[in-house]
Amino acid sequence: MITAQIVVSGALMGLVYALVAYGFQLTYATSKSINFGQGELVMLSAFFSLTLLDWGVPYWLMVPGGLLFGVLLGLFVERAAVRLALEQKSEGWILLTIIVGLLGFSAAENIWGRDDRPFPTPISSDALHIFGVSITPVEISVAIGVFALMGLIELFKRKTLLGKAFEAVSADREAAELMGISATRTVMLSYGLSGLVAAMAGILVSPITTVGPTMASALILKAFSVAVVAGLDSGFGVVIVGIFLGSLESLTSFYIGSGWREAPGLILLILALAARPNGVFGKAGIRKV
Amino acid sequence: MKKIWVVLLMTGMLISPAWGADTIKIAITGPFTGGSAPMGASMRDGAMLAVTEINAAGGVDVNGRKMPFEVIERDDEAKNERGALIGQELASMTDLSGVIGSVNTGVVLAGDKYLQEKGITKIITPAAGSASMTQWSKAGVPELSIFRFAADDGIQSAMVVEDAIKRHFTKVAIFHDSTNYGVSGRDDLMNQIKKQGNKLQVVATEKFNIGDKDMTAQLLRAKAGGAQAILIWGIGPEMAAVSNGMAKIGMKVPLIGGWTLCMSNYIDNAGKNGDGTLMPQTFIEDPITPKAKAFIEAYHKAYHVTRIPSPVSAAQGYDAVYIFAAAVKQAKSTDTHKVKAALEDLREPVKGVIATWNHPYSKWNPADEQTHEAFRRAQVVMGVIKDGRVEFANESDRKQFIENAAK
Repeated sequence: MITAQIVVSGALMGLVYALVAYGFQLTYATSKSINFGQGELVMLSAFFSLTLLDWGVPYWLMVPGGLLFGVLLGLFVERAAVRLALEQKSEGWILLTIIVGLLGFSAAENIWGRDDRPFPTPISSDALHIFGVSITPVEISVAIGVFALMGLIELFKRKTLLGKAFEAVSADREAAELMGISATRTVMLSYGLSGLVAAMAGILVSPITTVGPTMASALILKAFSVAVVAGLDSGFGVVIVGIFLGSLESLTSFYIGSGWREAPGLILLILALAARPNGVFGKAGIRKV
Repeated sequence: MKKIWVVLLMTGMLISPAWGADTIKIAITGPFTGGSAPMGASMRDGAMLAVTEINAAGGVDVNGRKMPFEVIERDDEAKNERGALIGQELASMTDLSGVIGSVNTGVVLAGDKYLQEKGITKIITPAAGSASMTQWSKAGVPELSIFRFAADDGIQSAMVVEDAIKRHFTKVAIFHDSTNYGVSGRDDLMNQIKKQGNKLQVVATEKFNIGDKDMTAQLLRAKAGGAQAILIWGIGPEMAAVSNGMAKIGMKVPLIGGWTLCMSNYIDNAGKNGDGTLMPQTFIEDPITPKAKAFIEAYHKAYHVTRIPSPVSAAQGYDAVYIFAAAVKQAKSTDTHKVKAALEDLREPVKGVIATWNHPYSKWNPADEQTHEAFRRAQVVMGVIKDGRVEFANESDRKQFIENAAK
């Protein structure tokens, strides 16, 4: 029973890693670039949503507001840090996204201060007991939110014209452009979606983690491990790896000791890179020279 | 153009020496932002309240001349490396009379050595980690310019263990964070359990990192071991996560720990789950004496709050300034070395908001760091959280404090 409890608690944290990792995947698919400031996007969206709540905006109106803010941030990152670098076929986006992230961090410190603040939510945090496992409605909302958002985006990619363009650019950028699809706009779309995912992650985890400038710094490292272990182009693979890593962390800290909590994630990352450099669920790519 | 520079230089020369001569220059350092900010900012605000009062009365009488305080503030952000930088900066100031502050033990360990090298007097408040003072007794320094004005972790851990035994617990779990403060707190607790006759069995010793929010695994270990109480050493946000985690897995045992459990970022983030949490306190925001009432009202009015973020830090900051002022007066000098000598032999009692301080320090003895510690067990009480406020845990303590003040 204890094991079940540990696995469930860990898996829920793992789902959050998976959601953030999914944000990495979205942009990697279309542009082979990653926003290294993704954690700051999570944090800024959470702060913005908290501010909306402070202004008296009701919770259910705050969610779309926060998500829209995330989309705008994503588009800003694309315009400011990624587009030019991609046009010049340089790797400049690595540094530029880190710099935009740092700017966001300083901005948050100056606007909202460095304190951790509670994030009010109408969802109860009184535990329910299901088959002897304690779980709070807030945690269930995280799980539902993660699956719903990822499901919707995957559906969008498969069923709509815009989504098909997205898939086409992911598959082969040059060929897609020859078919009349604007790669630039598709990359914009992917960064917008990635910002949306970050905002959702911020809104979902804030009631559990509290909101502060450093709230995502631990999260982002784990999410990065998850994305790399799962493979940067694997879609739902991140969910499986996320859940696995989250549970593994909790199990380690229970059975081996809380000092070893971070170890399995790192070992997993090294093993994955050594054995399957494209990720456990990644496709081995053929690179034509 | 040249003329302007000459004029500027001359005015500069005229102004700066005049400054140093007429004021008592002190530095207040601490984390004014970040997870430890409620303590740092309250300490600073409490100290500034005392400074304002003293300056409003014309200042401190130094050898027949009234001199006001001049305060410089430094935010160490609770970061050890910032502490080292600030320590170096302050050590290089020749006209500094003293330093008051520091919340984090790691920051103290990183910065104080520079002050000690130059013999600059410092009163540490409210950092409580034992290592801040034992580092000097271990090194066996013959002279020490560092004093502490806080209930050190030795006293606090003794009280925590005492309280757990008094409540007839036999099995406890120890939780601590991975910082200097948390680890040394764990060692203090272990030592105290041994010292007080091994009446408590430690069923789990669990660690967590700054920023951790999911404590389920650690708590389940404690629960599986049958812990009847959790003894905890850490800072606000993570301890709130422990408290919330306990509510989640339905673990209803008291949380007893260091005084940091009274931080507003613990109380706010733990909400109703924080009720019943116990911790040692040197000051409780309860206007039981006229002096306490005046202090609490003045604080609320000056900083527009209805609750002091960290009452202990505020009161300690306030009293520390008065003790420092008394030392300057007795030394008849703003020279930091003379102030240190006066602090080691303070002849006049200082009426503070926490207590009346009779000869709080004595000549430094490397074999006994208590010579530079002001607080004794008698000045500390157990506090309990009720509806988001810290109150006296034992009515008898409250009565005792009222009686002491009446004397």
